[in-house]
Amino acid sequence: MTPTDLPERKAYLLHQKAEHQRNVLGVFPAVYPREILWSLNILPVEIWDPPVPIGRSAAHVPPNICDVARRGLELILQGHCGDLDGFLFPHTCDSIQNVASIVNDYLGTGKPSFFFHLPRESESRAARAFYRLQLESLSSALRKHFHRSLDTGMLVESLQWGQRIDAAIRTLYELRGQDRLDVSNSRFYSVLRAGEYLHPSDHLPCLAQLIETTGSAKPPKTPVVLSGVLPSPPAFLSLLDELDLRVAADDLLNCSRRLQVPDGPAGNPYEALTDRYFRLPVCPTRNSTLAQRVNRLLSLVGSTRAAGVIFYVVPFCDPELFDLPPLVAELKKQGVRTLVVEAGLNRQLSGQVAVRVEAFAEMIGSGAA
Amino acid sequence: MQPNLLKSLRYRFMKNLGAPLLTVLEQRRATGKRNRGPHPHFGPPLRCNARLRQLLTRHYFLSRYAKGAHPVAWVTSGAPVELLRVLDFYTIYPENHGALCGAKRMGTELCTAAEAHGYSQELCAYARIDLGHHFTGKTPAGKLPRPDLLFASNNICQTVVYWYRALAHYWNIPLVLFDTPFNYEALSDMQIEYMSAQLQEMIPVLERVSGRRFDVVRLQQIIGSAKECSALWGQVLDTMKARPAPMTIFDAFVHLAPIVSLRGLEGCRTHYRTLLDELRERVNRGIGALTVERKRLMWDNIAVWFKVRELAGMFAERGLNFVTATYTNAWAETGTMIDPQRPFESLARAYSQVILNNNLKHRLDLMKRLIREFEVDGLVMHSARSCKPYSIGQYDLKRILADQLQIPSVIIEADIADSRSFSEKQVIAQLELFFEAFEDRTE
Repeated sequence: MTPTDLPERKAYLLHQKAEHQRNVLGVFPAVYPREILWSLNILPVEIWDPPVPIGRSAAHVPPNICDVARRGLELILQGHCGDLDGFLFPHTCDSIQNVASIVNDYLGTGKPSFFFHLPRESESRAARAFYRLQLESLSSALRKHFHRSLDTGMLVESLQWGQRIDAAIRTLYELRGQDRLDVSNSRFYSVLRAGEYLHPSDHLPCLAQLIETTGSAKPPKTPVVLSGVLPSPPAFLSLLDELDLRVAADDLLNCSRRLQVPDGPAGNPYEALTDRYFRLPVCPTRNSTLAQRVNRLLSLVGSTRAAGVIFYVVPFCDPELFDLPPLVAELKKQGVRTLVVEAGLNRQLSGQVAVRVEAFAEMIGSGAA
Repeated sequence: MQPNLLKSLRYRFMKNLGAPLLTVLEQRRATGKRNRGPHPHFGPPLRCNARLRQLLTRHYFLSRYAKGAHPVAWVTSGAPVELLRVLDFYTIYPENHGALCGAKRMGTELCTAAEAHGYSQELCAYARIDLGHHFTGKTPAGKLPRPDLLFASNNICQTVVYWYRALAHYWNIPLVLFDTPFNYEALSDMQIEYMSAQLQEMIPVLERVSGRRFDVVRLQQIIGSAKECSALWGQVLDTMKARPAPMTIFDAFVHLAPIVSLRGLEGCRTHYRTLLDELRERVNRGIGALTVERKRLMWDNIAVWFKVRELAGMFAERGLNFVTATYTNAWAETGTMIDPQRPFESLARAYSQVILNNNLKHRLDLMKRLIREFEVDGLVMHSARSCKPYSIGQYDLKRILADQLQIPSVIIEADIADSRSFSEKQVIAQLELFFEAFEDRTE
């Protein structure tokens, strides 16, 4: 498997089931202890932006719900989750919370739902203790349901997989930030996001090969920082490529905010996983302060010499929409140029969005604009 | 924060002289208003309405002088305020203030002010009102004191976390969050331990901000009082089981303010005792909230604050009385879980099991119970654009209740405080259809 040869998601998960006797769990955004699932031979397949037409969900949820939660529900309602053995709902926001309850309490999917609370206080001893207990509780619930036994060796191996993936992704972001990775935005994020469904044993080689793609882009592209929830639809990244804008760093919920984890101590697997959660980059869904978020963005801009920040926002996403005004104001105060674009997932990119991004590219001096 | 002597004296002066004087003026104003003739569809108004106005006017009036005399906290409606009461915090409830702005038709103006600073119209109207107040200083309450602390719990929504983070950023003040894991399933010991530990962990922060020492015995007294307030509120709501019900849910929406804003304080307890006496007297004398109560309804979700009067009138003229609501019930349903002998654990239990921190199966069961106990004939669900946790799931609730209890229902699309999300024509059309179907099915 190579970065240019990523398998189609459905075929891949069927192969995983047949070949490796893995159970497959559909996982809603955003953060969850993937290592616990791997250690029990369960493949997490994340549900962020499934390319399904919107229809049936209108009978269950009002129009002002974010596209991520709506599309996840739509995927289930349209019967595309038949091959999944259950769902995992991390507690990320109000919309995902209630969609989870609709699925678990009302839909009668015949599949089990598992839940995971993400503590909102990073400095709290109680939060750390609770997170660790939840890891054990989730592991126990999964073992019980899927008739698996606790295999400490597998847990340690899974932890190592996770650490190697974290290290590879850290390297990739570093190379990207230094303009030493000659790949398009589209290619970079498609490989990164392949981790949403690939087993680590398949994802690691893809990441390793991408790291080998060193060399700076010719002609040089204008670096920007991308903030928001996720880089979808892919056409948005293609647009940035066409405009010679290089996403040198991101502050995306489904990318760096949960994948670009600083290196941490090894040790007891549960302790190490707990520690990993509390080392994640700042995020409004976990109650980081706005000052922390401003500092992170400024740090990303500074370290990559980015010419501006693009906030790419999913409509009705409360955590992002609440942060935007103070973030934009603080960045402006520091002389950082910003663009706010709101766009639905997996829809055609509107002409208006394209024009605004083009104008921004021109303003920050991108060669192709 | 050590109290400032001059500001403390000023606060005391206003409390002992200013506020009573204001109360007298308020009484006179209310007496003048009471001389209106009888309403064709409503029974005599509650005497306690005037008393409530005095109580709230006094609360907001004194809040202007609280800064410097008391530590001031802004608090979410579901946060365990009892901890703050121990430390003598003067508390302001932005949600209550948002409802006030909505009722006084100032909601849209303040929302627009927040939007002018970049806040999306898609966000909660209470939050936008609050941020609009921050940017403009405008409020129907005259003036709100700048807080020393923000105190929030995500047991009602995650939105309060994002909203209070913004306030904490603008004012550079601490935000203390009580994180309550959502109950997808039954509450576990692990969750209770987590929440109980958080409550104990936050005490040093509260002590630092208030400059006062925390006293567990005082906490036990206060939560005993809060429990009594909650029980009294539950009894007030229970009077609507009588036929005819002595008040409507629209009255209850208004009389909800003390249990939200003054929980655990003597003023709250006295108010509900007086209100309960009045309601029981009305029940004994057969005085209904409506002149004719033909059918009984349940309301789901927060009120449409800027249309309470119009909606109340529209239903009353058809003899339809709202006798219960999931919303008003929220401050009564978990009060029995509070145990002064186990303060932290019982606060964790009570505050984490409120309606919006529970799964939709729990809400369905609650609605079924309320429908049965209050002998409800129909259901009106407000799909509030502002409130996602309350509104996502209503379509399924409506369908299941119709299937299982054959109860007629309607969903109206509106908002809690932003009138731009209310289409008069559309809502009236939806309600007219409901009235027709309802009359056909329940005749």
